[in-house]
Parts: sequence; C-alpha cells; structure tokens
Amino acid sequence: MKPLILAIATAALLHASEIRMEQVGGKDIFRLTKVSGNGDFSVFVVQPHNPELDAQPMLGSTERHLTDLVFVPRFPLTPGIQLRAVWKPVSGKPITALFSLPKASIAPSTSVQQIFPTSNRLPENQLKLYIHFSAPMSKGDIYKHLRLLNAKGEEVKLAFLELDEELWDREGRRITLLFDPGRIKRGVLPLSEIGPALIPGDSYKLVIDAAWQDAQGRPLTGSFEKRFTVVPADRTSPDVSAWKLTASKSGVTLDFNEPLDQALLDRMILLRDASDREIPGAVKIDREETRWHFTPSSQFLAGDYRIEVDTALEDLAGNKIGKLFDVDVFDKIDTTLRTPKITLPFNIK
Amino acid sequence: MKTLAILALTTSLAASAASNLTMGKADMKSAGQLAFSPAGILFVGDPKGGSIYALDTDDAEAMPGADIDIKGANEKMAALLGTTADQILINDVAVNPVSHKVYFSVSRGKGQDATPLLLKLDASGKFQEIALDKVKHSKADIPNVPSAEGRQGATKRMEAITDLAFVDGKVWVAGLSNEEFASTLRSIPFPFTSDIKATNVEIFHGAHGRFETNSPVRTFVSYKIAGKPHLLAAYTCTPLVKFPIDGLQPGQKVMGTTIAELGAGNRPMDMIVYTKGGADYILMNNSSRGVMKLATAKIDSYPGITAKTDITGVPYETLGQFKGVEQLDLYDKTRAIMLVRGEGGSLDLKTIALP
Repeated sequence: MKPLILAIATAALLHASEIRMEQVGGKDIFRLTKVSGNGDFSVFVVQPHNPELDAQPMLGSTERHLTDLVFVPRFPLTPGIQLRAVWKPVSGKPITALFSLPKASIAPSTSVQQIFPTSNRLPENQLKLYIHFSAPMSKGDIYKHLRLLNAKGEEVKLAFLELDEELWDREGRRITLLFDPGRIKRGVLPLSEIGPALIPGDSYKLVIDAAWQDAQGRPLTGSFEKRFTVVPADRTSPDVSAWKLTASKSGVTLDFNEPLDQALLDRMILLRDASDREIPGAVKIDREETRWHFTPSSQFLAGDYRIEVDTALEDLAGNKIGKLFDVDVFDKIDTTLRTPKITLPFNIK
Repeated sequence: MKTLAILALTTSLAASAASNLTMGKADMKSAGQLAFSPAGILFVGDPKGGSIYALDTDDAEAMPGADIDIKGANEKMAALLGTTADQILINDVAVNPVSHKVYFSVSRGKGQDATPLLLKLDASGKFQEIALDKVKHSKADIPNVPSAEGRQGATKRMEAITDLAFVDGKVWVAGLSNEEFASTLRSIPFPFTSDIKATNVEIFHGAHGRFETNSPVRTFVSYKIAGKPHLLAAYTCTPLVKFPIDGLQPGQKVMGTTIAELGAGNRPMDMIVYTKGGADYILMNNSSRGVMKLATAKIDSYPGITAKTDITGVPYETLGQFKGVEQLDLYDKTRAIMLVRGEGGSLDLKTIALP
C-alpha cells in the first residue's frame, strides 16, 4: 500500500491528537483522533531480530471517521508482535504510539497420534513414514524436529529426503516422510558414497521433538519416539496370489502376507457389484497393515461381487503390484505391469 | 521457478493480449512454484487447489532491471504483511523477463490455512502485493489430482508441485504425491482451454546401466541441443537426466540419459540456463553442495553414465563465492537474482553477475 496523504478538513482541536488501538467488529484497528491537516498515517511491525529495519508500513486501508483517521489492517494481527503507529503531518510534530500485543496461549495440546507403518520391524529399504498429529501443524523447517538415532544413540545423518515442499495432507495433520531414495536405490551415487541409512539387524528410534509447533504456534505436548528393528530389504512386489480373501454378508477381509502402505490401502481397494456399482462402506486396516477389512454400509445381498485393487498399491519399500521400486534390468527386462487394476471376484450366498 | 531459457524474444506478443484470460478473482488456495512465459504471463502452482494459474499482472512494459541488494527481504515482506519474518514462507522467486520485476510467492502463516500471496518488487525497491481479487487470469486443474471429496482416504492425498516451467507453448509441471512414490511430469498447453489435455509422462533413468527407476523430478530446466528443446531434470535421488521434449508422448515410457550424479545428502533447488561468451551454461543451487556451474556443451556431448566406474558424469564447477542460496532465477542476460540466507535467518535478495 502506498503511504496515504490525505486531505483532512480542519478540525476543531479541542484536545491533542492521539493514536489508540481498538476492536471494531472483531477487528483490531488503529484510530488517530482529532486530526487536522494533511499527513501520513502508517502502522509498522517491529521485526524482533531487526528492530532498526527500514520497514514498509503494513498493508491496510485508511478511512476518515469525522475528525478521526482509522487504519484497518489488511490481515488479522499476529499475537505477540510489537507495532509502531506513526502519524506524520505535513506540518507539525509527528505522533508515534507503540503497541505490544499479548502472546497467544502456549499451553500445548497437540500430540503425535500415530506413525505408520505401525510395525516395529521395517525393511532396510523402507521408503515412507506417515506421522499423524492430533491437530493441524505448522509448515516450514520440519526436518530440524526429526532425528533418527541408532542403537548407540548416534544420529543417522541425512536419513530423510528434505523437501522444501513438505508433503502434508490438506489439513496439516499428516506429514509424509521419505527415506532418502538415493540411499535406497541401488546404483546411485549416495548409496555407494555414504551407504544405506538403515542396516539390517540394527535397531533405531525416530525421535520427534516437542518443539515442533502446531498451527497455533504451540509446541507439542511431548516428544515422541518410534523404535524399530531393521530386517533385510524387500525387493519383491506385493503378491496378490498370496492374499487371503474372506467374505460374508457383513464384510470382506483381505489378509496380506506382508504389511502394505497404510495410506494407499485406505483408498486403493474398492468393491463393485455385478452391475459395476461401487459399494459404499468403511475400511479398517489393522494387524500392522497386514489386514484390510471392508464393512458395507448395508449388508451384502447374495450375488457376485469383485474387489478392485489399484496396482499402484505399494508395500513398505515402495514396490508396486507388478512393478518394483528399482528394477534390475539385468535380471528382468521388463517387469512393468501395465494393468491399472487387479480384480478379485467373490460371491455371497 | 524458471524464466525460460528459451529466451525466444517473443516479447512482441504483449502479455495483455494473451488469450483466454478473464478479469476476476484468482481464488488460489496456495501459491508455490512460479514461472514466466517469455511474454510475461505469470504461472503459479497451487498444489493445495490442484491447479495452475496463469496471470496477466499488467506488467508488460519492457524495462532494464536495476541492480538489487536488499538486506532482510523476508523481514521487509513480513512487515508489509503485518507480521514477523518467522510467520511467512517465501515459496518461490521468479523474474518477469519483459519488465525485469521480481515476483515472489509467499505464505502468510504456517498452518494449512495460511494466506497465499504474490508480491512484486517495484522499481523503487518496495514490495507490493499483486491483487488477486481482480486480475486477468485463467486456471488449469491438474489432471489426476484427486479432489478433497470422495471415498475414505482420498482426502489426505495431495501432490506437491516441485517445479514449473513454460516451454514452447506448454506449461510443464513436476509433481510429487504425498502417498504413492512416482514421477509425474505433465504438460498443459497454454492458453488453457476448458478441456485440458495434459500429458502424463513416465520418465525413467538408468543408474549405471543396471537399475532403472521413475523417481520424482525435483527441478528442471529447458535448453536446446541442436535446435531441439530438451529438459534437464534433477531427481530427488540426485542424478541429472536429460531427455528431448518431443520424445515425451502420452503413455510412453521415456528413458532419459543420466549425465551427472550430484552426490549424497544434497537437494538440487533451482536451475537456470544462460549464455556467456558464446557458450551456454547451467547454474544450479543446491541445499548442501553450493552453486554449481555446468557447460551445456559438455552435457550435449556426454554419452551418459553407464558404468559404475564412471560415477561423476559431466564435470561441474562448484562456485565457492555463493553460499546459502535458497532461490535462484535468471534476472537478465548478464545477471541472476538470488535469495541468500544470511546471519540470524535473514534472507537477502541480490543480483549477481552471471559467472
């Protein structure tokens, strides 16, 4: 916003002008009272690490209310900041007022709810971790709040892929953490340079520190640890033929021979009836992501049904159905499966 | 962020004349990656909304850019936005190739309800907000990005936009899902039409001739080899890979050529292409390995990494004079602009002579 030079009708100056902060209709506003003459009314935010900064005034609009000038900030004011409101008349003495806004409550209430995979045995080539929080979190600088420690308590450096575009869900309640694929993929430089982050047989713990702020700027209620032991790498695709399907009128269950990716399981398996209609219902995933259970909104009627599985479904190591995370082209020339879906038929008597 | 290298001087095509832009509110849910067309149309990636916006910011007057040196640019932006520097995120920086004004995508706030904003540095060195409620714009929804509605589990999937570029009439979008691990590079023809036909391509790169993968693209830039546009992409697992754009056809599996390996614990962040002394170069800033300079002549002639003994690929020079470079874009023919992390977390904006 450009500094405002306003022509104000000469007001009767019964008292000296002053700048006040007020709440009008739930908004914080700045009021300069009993203005006479032209001038510039601006509000500045004092930057805590650089209070001398030659800052621009904050965005907002200025309105004239009788003999007062009212500045309405463009955005809601951030708790805990310091503000300097300045009236610079064309002639006469400037008026400055300082305001310190109260800090927001810092009583923590947000915590880590769950980390997927829930298993405490993860393959050497584990690809992703999903961290779920009880409330929306703050973005930016998340990686400084995460540490992977080995059994000796030493930090495993550079274990995760630190993306500037942090992989949050829409609500900011789940962050996806990728183990650095460069240390998993065979034949790329980081793996040969610094080796894998996870070594089979070793134990680790992921520590999330309590200083990670939620969306309200409050720390977590406490730190969180996930301990796990590393087992040999999984270099095989999920084997649908090894899944066990059990169906009854009240629901369908798939038992897998290995844990699968929880987020993908949640949405990549669906049910259709003989007329191709998708069956509504609820999905439950348990037994350390080795079981998927579907409860239809109303009981199945007798008839033919099918389960459709998206072949983009991954195991813990990012191997998709019919498509490995990294393909050894010497072993198999083309293991890429082009079928987008696999169908598992079943019948309800 | 890429002001495209293919600096075909098509600036005669005035930005305001670009078709299919209508005046109204550009209702973006987030403002991430930025790119300009040679005519000065600004493209903004909105990962939360699953869209790309094209904006005519009414900034098509050809101007030479003055040198820039602004200390505490993040604090100045925060002050303008009525908050402190720790409460904003500068997501990308891009330069309008016509006016040489510098644009920023910024989040005010750090939660998912943060306000997306676009700022511009004006000629007097002040930051200005680009009004998004009344701007000529059009929008392309990124295909295959599930909306927030739908069945259980679908609401959590989002796709980050890791880079955006405008090349020869198309907007190229590199995406990374927060669930399935896959590379999605899409091209969307511009002007956007109501029936967007985006092309999804799977690009594989070999690693030492043995393992192939379709890992996500982190950043990319276009440049020409023998007159044909190519993309040079830096992957999250560190290889630099080149492939010809005309080879990228829908549904085809494209094998890129791995030309360099940048090493462990490093994230390539931005790349720019420029010409100096008759030769083309690529400048790339990295999270931990500084700013690297590569000669494209060496990229063109490089046969590709095919053996484990040949692990470093195309030779590159690490420029020690640049440290803490978080954003990089081409400013004009002789200068680049950088956002540099200084002491105490302050971000300084400055132009530098192209090395």
